[in-house]
Amino acid sequence: MNDRRVKRLLDSVPVDRDAEERTWAVVRAAFAEHEPVRRAPRLRWAVACAALAVVVAAAALSPPGRAVVDAVRRTIGVEHAAPALFRLPAPGRLLVSGSGGTWVVAADGSKRRLGGWQQASWSPHGLFVIAATANQLAAIEPGSGDVHWSLARPRIAYPRWGGSRIDTRVAYLSGDRLHVVAGNGQGDAAIELAAHVAPAWRPGDRHVLAFVTAQGRVRVQGVWTSSVYAHPRALAWSPDGTVLALATAKRVVLFDAVTGRAREIPVDRVSALAYARNGRLAVLRDRAILEIGGEGVSTLFSWPGRLSGLAWSPNGRFLLTSLPGADQWIFVSGRRVLAVSHIAEQFGGVPSLDGWMPGP
Amino acid sequence: MIHVGGMAQPEVERRERAWVRDAQRGSAAALEHLFRAHWPRAYRAALVVVGDAAAAEDIAQESFLAAVRALDRFDRGRPFGPWLHRIVVNRSIDWARARTLRRELDAGSAPEPAAPTRELAGRAGELAAALSELGPEHRAVVVLRYLLEYTPGEIAELLDLPRGTVNSRLRRGLDRLEEALRNE
Repeated sequence: MNDRRVKRLLDSVPVDRDAEERTWAVVRAAFAEHEPVRRAPRLRWAVACAALAVVVAAAALSPPGRAVVDAVRRTIGVEHAAPALFRLPAPGRLLVSGSGGTWVVAADGSKRRLGGWQQASWSPHGLFVIAATANQLAAIEPGSGDVHWSLARPRIAYPRWGGSRIDTRVAYLSGDRLHVVAGNGQGDAAIELAAHVAPAWRPGDRHVLAFVTAQGRVRVQGVWTSSVYAHPRALAWSPDGTVLALATAKRVVLFDAVTGRAREIPVDRVSALAYARNGRLAVLRDRAILEIGGEGVSTLFSWPGRLSGLAWSPNGRFLLTSLPGADQWIFVSGRRVLAVSHIAEQFGGVPSLDGWMPGP
Repeated sequence: MIHVGGMAQPEVERRERAWVRDAQRGSAAALEHLFRAHWPRAYRAALVVVGDAAAAEDIAQESFLAAVRALDRFDRGRPFGPWLHRIVVNRSIDWARARTLRRELDAGSAPEPAAPTRELAGRAGELAAALSELGPEHRAVVVLRYLLEYTPGEIAELLDLPRGTVNSRLRRGLDRLEEALRNE
């Protein structure tokens, strides 16, 4: 076979012009958001930020400065907050992780540190916890912190456990690759490049994984793949597995689990999504918790300070979020708002809310 | 090595440098020139290496997005094509390897396969079938030599391989193609 024939063969491979137009639309949009480098202004901005940081640090370290910081904290925090987490307002076990490690909080307020893990989530029935540091993934016992198995992989993020009681899988990101490993820690495999969004296992015994591809498409493995969505933030399945919710910078998208048909809700800046066990969908938008229901979007809670994280109590009566600026957790149930202060002190740092699971 | 619109290579490189410079200054029109000039080869290269049209689209798209993200750091003294082709070919190899792993996983008790692939038809399908027995690394070398028209020395540099390895992979790729197409 001569070189020219091979070249002719390769040149005859058809180019998909529709794909070209789709890609150009995505590339053009990415380019529009991309700012050309302007070095001098960036330097000026950095100097200004550094100067501001010095002033703030000096203010915070001096006694009068600390008084001002405390006053601001009181202003943005919820008044009459409990000084410590004496108990959870609803039954169940709360999993949290942060610089102080991974902790399980029982309904009576007792806390157990599971180890120096930085992120974690529950197994489907709360029998185990899958936890991770930057370079290690581990299945651990929630009662004792004992490690059942561990796996070293670089730059681990978003470990998520799915499946039935007897046959489970763990999905996670290693760098920009989605991996899946069996629930016993064996057969780890890289699946494909993925966006930095936590993958989500569809509830139920079948192993159906939803994730966002590196191009911004939502993919339900073996079922459907969506069109491209810019700036994806979070994915969550409804408890009955019929709806997959995606949060992006501009909207919330509700996909039909079978057909992939999308219904878009124009709610921007959503950073977290959480379905209650009774099917209610709450989203966190900057300084408010909203509920997306059949009749539209309603506000469940709003506050002048920025909120972070979202978890429903297992009985669906309380939503938990945190107010990092005031070092508080806030439990919301209708008009009832309960706050707890000094969270960082109790957990060795401000933790993320990793899930609220029924008791064992 | 790359010929765009029948122009001589120095002219192509001069125009590309101008497009890169203008794109770095924020010109979407310049970026579109670069995109249109390189899309067909980038897409074809990915398609031949991975043999899946949807994946090829994703890989080519992701490569252009990576190029946009890194545009500010790009050295205008270097040609744009080899930079983009290196990204496309390496990502295609990674994707093909991951698919192999996924299939191995599927054979045991593992997650279901990804979304159905868009199978290739016609000549592209024949070519993909002929090359399918080769590993992705071999297919990548064939693509770089005969589609993107790099010399074996340039391929060795692009893929960080010894020159002898490039030559042996080319030989094996050609033998495989000849054998398969003789049986048509």
